[in-house]
Amino acid sequence: MKRNGFKIGITLALLLLCGYYLYPTVRYALLQRKLNRMPEAERAAFIEANYGTIQELREKALKLGLDLQGGMHVTLEVRLDALIRELATDVDETFEEVLAAARERARTGDVSLIDAFVEEFERRDPNARLSRYFRNPDVGITRRSSNEEVAAYLRKQAKEAVNRAIEIIRDRVDRYGVTEPSIQKQGAHRIVVELPGVDDPERVRRLLRGTARLEFRLMADPQLLQAALQDIIAYYEPDTTDTGSIATTDTASADTSLAALLGEQPTPERPRNPLLAVMQPVGQGVVFGVVAGPDTATVNRLLKNPEVQALLPSGIELLYTANPVGTDERGRPLYYLLGVRKEVELTGEVITDARVEFDELNRPQVSMTMNSEGARIWARLTGANVGKHIAIVLDNVVYSYPVVNERIPSGRSSITGLDSREEAQDIVTVLKSGALPAPVDIVEERTVGPSLGEASIRAGLRSVLTGLLLVALFMIFYYRTGGMIADLALVLNIIFILGILAAFKATLTLPGIAGIVLTIGMAVDANVLIFERIREEQATGKTLRAAIDLGYSKSFSAIFDANITTFFTGAILYSFGVGPIQGFAVTLMAGIVSSLFSAIVITRIIFDYLVLERKLMVSVG
Amino acid sequence: MRIFENANYPFIQHRKKAYVFSGILLLLSLVSLATRGLELGIDFKGGMEFVVSGATAPGATAIREALTPVLGAEPEVKTYGAEDILIRVAAEGDINEMQQQIIETIRQRFPETQPEVVQTNIVGPRFAEDLKRGAIYSILGALLVIFVYILIRFEWRYSLGAVIALFHDVLITLGLFSLLHGWVPFSLEIDQTIIAAFLTIVGYSLNDTVIIFDRVREYLNLFKTKPLEEVVNLSINATLSRTIITSGTTLLVVAILFIFGGEVLRGFSFALMVGIVIGTYSSIFVASPVVVELRRRMAAQRVAAAR
Repeated sequence: MKRNGFKIGITLALLLLCGYYLYPTVRYALLQRKLNRMPEAERAAFIEANYGTIQELREKALKLGLDLQGGMHVTLEVRLDALIRELATDVDETFEEVLAAARERARTGDVSLIDAFVEEFERRDPNARLSRYFRNPDVGITRRSSNEEVAAYLRKQAKEAVNRAIEIIRDRVDRYGVTEPSIQKQGAHRIVVELPGVDDPERVRRLLRGTARLEFRLMADPQLLQAALQDIIAYYEPDTTDTGSIATTDTASADTSLAALLGEQPTPERPRNPLLAVMQPVGQGVVFGVVAGPDTATVNRLLKNPEVQALLPSGIELLYTANPVGTDERGRPLYYLLGVRKEVELTGEVITDARVEFDELNRPQVSMTMNSEGARIWARLTGANVGKHIAIVLDNVVYSYPVVNERIPSGRSSITGLDSREEAQDIVTVLKSGALPAPVDIVEERTVGPSLGEASIRAGLRSVLTGLLLVALFMIFYYRTGGMIADLALVLNIIFILGILAAFKATLTLPGIAGIVLTIGMAVDANVLIFERIREEQATGKTLRAAIDLGYSKSFSAIFDANITTFFTGAILYSFGVGPIQGFAVTLMAGIVSSLFSAIVITRIIFDYLVLERKLMVSVG
Repeated sequence: MRIFENANYPFIQHRKKAYVFSGILLLLSLVSLATRGLELGIDFKGGMEFVVSGATAPGATAIREALTPVLGAEPEVKTYGAEDILIRVAAEGDINEMQQQIIETIRQRFPETQPEVVQTNIVGPRFAEDLKRGAIYSILGALLVIFVYILIRFEWRYSLGAVIALFHDVLITLGLFSLLHGWVPFSLEIDQTIIAAFLTIVGYSLNDTVIIFDRVREYLNLFKTKPLEEVVNLSINATLSRTIITSGTTLLVVAILFIFGGEVLRGFSFALMVGIVIGTYSSIFVASPVVVELRRRMAAQRVAAAR
């Protein structure tokens, strides 16, 4: 025993350490099980009473990945192109072209959007100055600023925008209420948001993406809007003398074929108006038309036509209502298309407080308070527009457009026409957190429902246990006592892997479990190598003791070389992979380190004990 | 019990047959990769993927037909595991709208179903580009690191032999993915997990190769007078039982993973099963013979130079 005192000490110390790190995980798992067995009421009381302990255990327990516990993983990208356009004080056609080209280059290449923008601009005209677009004495960009200076300014702004977006999103997530959310910056302009246990992805998407641009705007003059509606319908009215227009023939043929399918007599009807096919005109007050949800894309395309845009009253754009105003006969939600002035009278920046309230019919609404400057403008605005509509626009959709009854001096206003209490709550959240400095896109999202996560855990556990059992049985069958020793090392190996994961605060994912299963298969490799070598040495007539010595020493270089290369591949996977793949890489690396230790050090201790101390004949089969 | 005790198979002598076998496999793989190609998963292709439970009854085809006019493009619809269907849309657009349209359409057209989205995977085109780049870098990086490490620990012929064997393994596994996709009842799409599997195959195949090389290095010092072919063959035979046992246990656990690990890991564990078999074969029949060939060529040159 003496010769191995040091090794035994290390092994015991490591086991203790693993126990220390895994203890909270075990306790947390037992607690969960206990909670699941409790009746509903008792559970709530128990959680209440032991909140601190549960929180602490959860914090220290081995973390499960979102693919195992269910939840949402979202990668957001801050739209730098929108930010650049926002920062520009003057925009022309060249600017838009350069921006579009830069966006394309940034998408396909390895270059940042700002660099691509500057390069693209200089490529077109090496002597031109970017400062002509970004002149802004407040931030020190003058007509004479070099392109370098402008680029530096843009980069600084972009960095600040991303950091500010992270803060705002963190604030929104905190207000939404998720246990243990994680919000991290990834690369230059991406934000990774992980939300365990979230079960309403649609709501979270809205919450994360909402720029929270609240605007108060005046609306179109009903007469002018009415006239524009007639003009636009007339524009799309199919020319009866010439049916060569592509749009009309398309709809016409579709109609006749449908009629033919239904077995009806195809009536020689006039070809239909493509706009009227997807939009029901209204032309009453500020309402332009009614559109069903799935048709909005088609309507938008038809209305985007510059010739059609020219027919609208000047300074007016068409926006949808946020919530449906009803459903059509097919049960599709219907939205109003409203004529709204482009000019923004007042923005959400003046809002100092917002909260959910209910009106006399118990419908939710958000009531807002403005600061003194906002209140002053609001009073003037409402005073000057009594009897007219004011649109309350949030992120380019109209929430409500009440008629002003009288001048409002108090700086109070409210958003009505909301769907649910949740929606009101979410609007309060985004208003309070503030507007995002630039729009964000969801560039990646992975959502796993909690039941699917549970199924994955069960599948993973079953694989681990079955694999372990079969490999262990084989080892005993093939290597006898040696196999048993190797099996003990194998079990310790799994404890070590979990301990390492817990100690490094790594996350256990489904691919991570796959890594553990794979490690079980490969971990015995070192012992197989050693045992085979011992057999070879014994075959040459050496004593057991000498054979063991030689077996361990001669196989060491092979074991080392073989494992270090696998370790390298794990490290590379870790540095390039994301999320669950990193989980796999981590368990693979942890598995290599711990299996080397248990297969070389621990089995040797046991062999030495049995052969040298107890003078036993140990069989390796 | 012992297997392959005192094994003495003439592996190296029969290497020409192995070259032909590998050649055929490689050719088949390349032809399939060129004609059938690979089915890229959402990670590298981009798009939106919704796993919907409670809607298997109408069948994938009916759901595809119901969704096509609503979404304006034909979605990919297939069964996913026993209880779910997977709906994949290539289009970009608002995620919430897309999800609502899919669920509403299924609910209306097939009132007997209770569709519910249990999993989503959404990857934007830019993000897919980045993932693709990451995957390529990691594979190239792994090959480079391995080449350099073996170069340091052994010599360049071994390094080359190992890397050739690795290319051989990954190409054939890829070829099999290309050849079989669509024919087997599980997904063989190339996604991030499959890349992880490939790198693991690389690591594993190398593991095997290194252990044989290590023995060759030892035996070269031990049997200085024997010709190289014989030394390499002896080394392969001496390590044969270990090679088979380790491959066996690893194959066993990976097969368990394939059976019990669930839908997500099926392609991954399939890649590993194939890779383990090919990797074991290649360390005996590709990596070691390459070293022999390279050594012989040099010996021949030396003889020529001496004359």
